[in-house]
Amino acid sequence: MNTRRQILKVGAAAGALIAAPSLVFAQPAPTRARTLRAVMHGDLAAFDPIWTTANMASYHGGLIYDTLFGIDSQNQPQPQMVQSFNLSDDKLTWTFVLRDGLRFSSGEPVTAKDCVASIRRWAVRDGGGQHMFRRVTDTPVVDEKTFRIVLREPYPLLLDWLGKAATNVCYIMREKEASTDPQTQITEYIGSGPFIYNRGESRQGARYVYDRNPNYVPRSEPASFMSGGKVARMDRIIMENMSDPQTQVSALQAGEIDFLEWPSLDLIDTLEKDRNIKIEVMNQSGTMGWCRLNHLHPPFNNVLARRAMLHLTHPTEIMKATFGNEKYFRACGSIFACNTPTENDANTDWFKAGQNIDRARQLFREAGYDGRPVVLLSASNVLHMTNAGLLYQQWLKAAGVNVELVTSDWGGVVARRANRNPPDQGGWNIFFTSASGAGYSNPVSLAGHASNGANAWFGWPTDERNEQLRDAWAAASTPEARMQAARAMQENAWNYVPHVHYGQWLAPSAYRANLTGMIGMPELVPFWNVGRAG
Amino acid sequence: MLAYVIRRLLSTLIVMAIVGIFVFLLLHLSPGDPAAIIAGDNATPEQITGIRQRLGLEDPLPVQFLRWFGHIAQGDLGVSIFSNEPVLKLVGQRLEPTISLALTTLLIAVTLAVTLGVLAAWKADTWVDRLLMVVSVLGFSVPGFVVGYLLIYVFAIELRWLPVQGYTPIAEGVVPWARNLVLPSVTLGLAYVALIARITRASMLDVLAEDYIRTAKAKGVANQSMLLKHALKNAGVPIVTVIGIGVALLFSGVVITETVFNIPGIGRLVVDAIAKRDYPIIQGVILIFSGVYVLVNLIVDLSYTLIDPRIRY
Amino acid sequence: MSAALTNAAPSVRPAFRPWRFIRRNPTLAAGLFILAIMVTVALLAPLIAGDPLRMQPAQRLRPPSAQYWLGTDSLGRDVFARLVYGARVSLLVGLSVATFSILIGLTIGLLAGFFRTADAIVMRIMDGLMAIPAILLAIAMVSLSRASLLVVIIAITIPEIPRVVRLVRSVVLSVREQPFVEAAIAGGAPTWKILLRHIMPSTFPPLIVQATYVCASAILIEASLSFLGAGTPPEIPTWGNMVSSSRLFLSRAPWTIFAPGLALALVVLAVNLVGDGLRDRLDPRLARRM
Repeated sequence: MNTRRQILKVGAAAGALIAAPSLVFAQPAPTRARTLRAVMHGDLAAFDPIWTTANMASYHGGLIYDTLFGIDSQNQPQPQMVQSFNLSDDKLTWTFVLRDGLRFSSGEPVTAKDCVASIRRWAVRDGGGQHMFRRVTDTPVVDEKTFRIVLREPYPLLLDWLGKAATNVCYIMREKEASTDPQTQITEYIGSGPFIYNRGESRQGARYVYDRNPNYVPRSEPASFMSGGKVARMDRIIMENMSDPQTQVSALQAGEIDFLEWPSLDLIDTLEKDRNIKIEVMNQSGTMGWCRLNHLHPPFNNVLARRAMLHLTHPTEIMKATFGNEKYFRACGSIFACNTPTENDANTDWFKAGQNIDRARQLFREAGYDGRPVVLLSASNVLHMTNAGLLYQQWLKAAGVNVELVTSDWGGVVARRANRNPPDQGGWNIFFTSASGAGYSNPVSLAGHASNGANAWFGWPTDERNEQLRDAWAAASTPEARMQAARAMQENAWNYVPHVHYGQWLAPSAYRANLTGMIGMPELVPFWNVGRAG
Repeated sequence: MLAYVIRRLLSTLIVMAIVGIFVFLLLHLSPGDPAAIIAGDNATPEQITGIRQRLGLEDPLPVQFLRWFGHIAQGDLGVSIFSNEPVLKLVGQRLEPTISLALTTLLIAVTLAVTLGVLAAWKADTWVDRLLMVVSVLGFSVPGFVVGYLLIYVFAIELRWLPVQGYTPIAEGVVPWARNLVLPSVTLGLAYVALIARITRASMLDVLAEDYIRTAKAKGVANQSMLLKHALKNAGVPIVTVIGIGVALLFSGVVITETVFNIPGIGRLVVDAIAKRDYPIIQGVILIFSGVYVLVNLIVDLSYTLIDPRIRY
Repeated sequence: MSAALTNAAPSVRPAFRPWRFIRRNPTLAAGLFILAIMVTVALLAPLIAGDPLRMQPAQRLRPPSAQYWLGTDSLGRDVFARLVYGARVSLLVGLSVATFSILIGLTIGLLAGFFRTADAIVMRIMDGLMAIPAILLAIAMVSLSRASLLVVIIAITIPEIPRVVRLVRSVVLSVREQPFVEAAIAGGAPTWKILLRHIMPSTFPPLIVQATYVCASAILIEASLSFLGAGTPPEIPTWGNMVSSSRLFLSRAPWTIFAPGLALALVVLAVNLVGDGLRDRLDPRLARRM
């Protein structure tokens, strides 16, 4: 095993030697001015952006891999690696031709085979990909640079899926890595993107180093979200894993780092006063606080009790407790998050009326609530979840519900939420999590929008009409028809209440004021196009 | 002497085996599922079960234990569940910062504490003595992270004398390396100053009361610096003992100090691994920590014979 | 040595005279005085303070005022109420860790010191436990099971046990060679009687001193665990988790961290002072050595 891996490594090194000699011979480390040091929201724990849905893996992927299509700032998919494409008249066969001169950092050219293998692996893991591939009959390779996707029925969302920025992103890998079992992580990280992962300089858990890919040929259009020219203006990007919020802010003020993805909002005042720091909300659709209800057990197997939760929730209280500054959060009544293409106000009277604990108490009574303890899972190491736990506990008690607040770290919540037993036998009634607004806006690809019972996401809601409406949304061919389907889905959802939201927050990023060309977009923090003034 | 060393080494192995069993049981009997964390938020239960099977977490516990133990016996600490990197490599990358921090802390703490302790013993039972002892107690009455924040605020943000955080390998220059270590070492060292200063004071007092010093004093042959030399030399044994105990305390303190000052050391490695349930890393690091602790104490025991030739094995 | 012995308490106990006690034992008296105030506050908490749990995010981070004597924290909770109720939990953590570790350590240490067969096995297990860094063990235990006050207390207690065992065992080993114990063994007294009646009392003076140090360090470790996100559940106020959860407000709302920080430092100082004072009274030989 060990020797085989070594041989592979030697082989890969030899390949790199032929392809790009400049990479192998030691280069002086890039200067501080040409290096971007960034602290992101978490650690890059795993490197395979198809295998995990973690956003950090997707950021890593965005630097080193390229995509066939990329959404622009209007959320329209634009060709990226693709030179030209067309759809047959029966709307069942898509043909794609790759751009000239695309190369992996290991030297091999990017071929149609690599693309097909990458799409197929992605489609096993991604919610949108799975939905689409139920309608795909074949993915033939025509020649080195041409491949097709053949469908059973028209699927208008195909390009949107290939170009989306939400995890899992359809990154194009070499066929060698892309033929890895989707349930197993890849071990080589080689792409055709604007940067190259520098394994030697990286320290797992501490810092991850990316060098400019000298052979990358960007598109000529200006950069716009995931589309346009991905020009690497920095020689090196270093993502540092720095966990302490106070230290993060101090380091940014001292100029030891350049970019801080999510500074603690409790410390933002200090940064706002600093002329060398710029504060910007990069992701305008933000993050939604998500209160997931367990539909398998009392009291939330009863729709009245679930409706009670709508009236019980006071989103801005949790937001205020967690984020303080009102500039950076809001309440949102849409099940698709606000400031997204699917946002709407269907069936939101309960939301407009605001918190009503008396109504909640009455609904719990009508639901036949019998006083059994309701088990809340709360993560002690994620502040908004901790606060949500504390405040829901207070509200539920006020509505006459007995509460058992179970605190553990996030790892503990993740383990227990998978348990389908009754709450007093290791199961649960409520747990808290969050998802990006952009993720929410998509009725199909967010697993949490499914209500297909035992196969649904944790909480296991069942609602047939919801499933029909999700398909209707995907099949809609005009923006108007799609919006109508989204409204219908929300109308239905707030009647059967799959889950509840506790607010939407727009975490601002902070960076050194001399950085230029930062691209603010949902789901991804791209570091191409970023330079330093002066 | 040699027989003693061999006996001690053997018992070290037994101790390590006990640590191994204990850590394994602790991890595998408590709730928490690395597969669920790996799979991410969008995963289906089937995917999670698939990952569990691949990781071997579905096997019965004894099977998992024997497999792990077999690997350990061959010096293989396994591979990180998340990053696929060998645990030994991950630990190797983190060794230098932690060792640097531990050594500089020890240096600062011992220098400061021995000075204070000697001074207190010299002025025993005066207000100087009392003040020094109370101040040293205060040193470990304040949580380390509060001290760290205050030092960062004063010396890195306001005065800009020292960097806020991070670590520079010694290979990139001794000065940058030292600049990064000053604040963390002081933060961590403060807690041990009290302990070591007290012991130093007590041993000094003991030695100062010994007959030969009193004789020397009475004869008037010894000046003060000679006395000090004598006394310090004899106080070596208890001080070295404290350093042995201190290593365990130091490891604990390292975890917090590395977090506050963002030092990519072993403490951070294991805290992050616990949050992710990366069992191979947690098991490996605790085994290594324990091994170092046992070895340091062995060395401390042996060094007694060097410091004090009266001790024989 | 002879000088130390004369410091020992005289066998005939004189009538208690407070001023004399304070003059002779200034550290002990100071420590006890601070602790007495804290215990009183803890016991009278419901009479002194309002609801420590009630959250009002709209009232978040208010500075000290007539309504909130020590201001409010980031969830709009009354810092004074939490400080007062926190005294209960923090003292409880310190006391229970000290009590449990001493009780368990005493039992194991007595048995290990007296029965040679058990000794080798028990002491290797203790060595193993001691080799694991205490805070890592505690973080792992709290993170891997659910966070509750009991788990935190257990997690802090376990690493303390081997130190107590070692202390007890060393006392037992030296005492069992003493003439009065040998006489009791020769006289055919049952083992449990020898252990309880003749050997155990000798362990008390060093153990009581040890208990105070364990108590002080437990209160601090609880704070460190909260800092690392593995402490007591957030709804339970302790001085440790008040300090660690307010650490980001050091410059913006110093009242959230100042009061619990001061209380924490004071209680640790007081317990240490009591420990030093007790050591001087109970164990003059040790006093000389520490």
